[in-house]
Amino acid sequence: MILITKSALNTAALDRAVSSPKHGAVASFVGTVRSPHAGRVVRGVSYDCFAPLAEKELSRIKAVVEKKWPVRVAVAHRVGHIKVGQASVAISAASPHRAPAFEACRFVIEEIKHRLPIWKKEHYASGPGRWLPGCALKRRA
Amino acid sequence: MKRKIELYGRLKDAGFGSSLTVEIPKSATAREALAILKPSLRQLLHGCVLATGDEVLSPADKLPSGKLALLPPVCGG
Repeated sequence: MILITKSALNTAALDRAVSSPKHGAVASFVGTVRSPHAGRVVRGVSYDCFAPLAEKELSRIKAVVEKKWPVRVAVAHRVGHIKVGQASVAISAASPHRAPAFEACRFVIEEIKHRLPIWKKEHYASGPGRWLPGCALKRRA
Repeated sequence: MKRKIELYGRLKDAGFGSSLTVEIPKSATAREALAILKPSLRQLLHGCVLATGDEVLSPADKLPSGKLALLPPVCGG
């Protein structure tokens, strides 16, 4: 399951998508919008996304992680305006044992931060919003 | 030939809206296209890459036909 959506994330649906009787471990990671950040009170974050490439890139990340470990992975990233405390990204990884499930979650969130064409603009309690700095994209080898 | 280039993230605040149309030679590489965009976007171009809906382009890649986007450094999660 790969999803880029403007709607609130359903983390239980991600867990269900990867669960099976042979998977004794399901690890989940949920990233939320936080405040304060860098000393400023955040009211929310707007996520912009180049959707066609983002969907393909999420599929590639899923394929890589499922080849690297014995896991089934589901990932969802929310776009549009998100309030503080709401989930922006959710990952579920199921495996026969816990270690690969934890490692897969960590791997996927790091790949998302480096490879997914998504950008966030923080909106503050006072003053103009700001696009946060990020990682320059590179073509996949 | 005229190419429409979609803009994302901080580039949408550059005053061009969500896309920019520029004259780019048909056989241009991504590097050459970025050089053409430099006078319009100046320091905002730092760290940006061109991409299609399928993949990020390397500087030496010829610009393919179809959708083209200019992507600043990413910040997902």
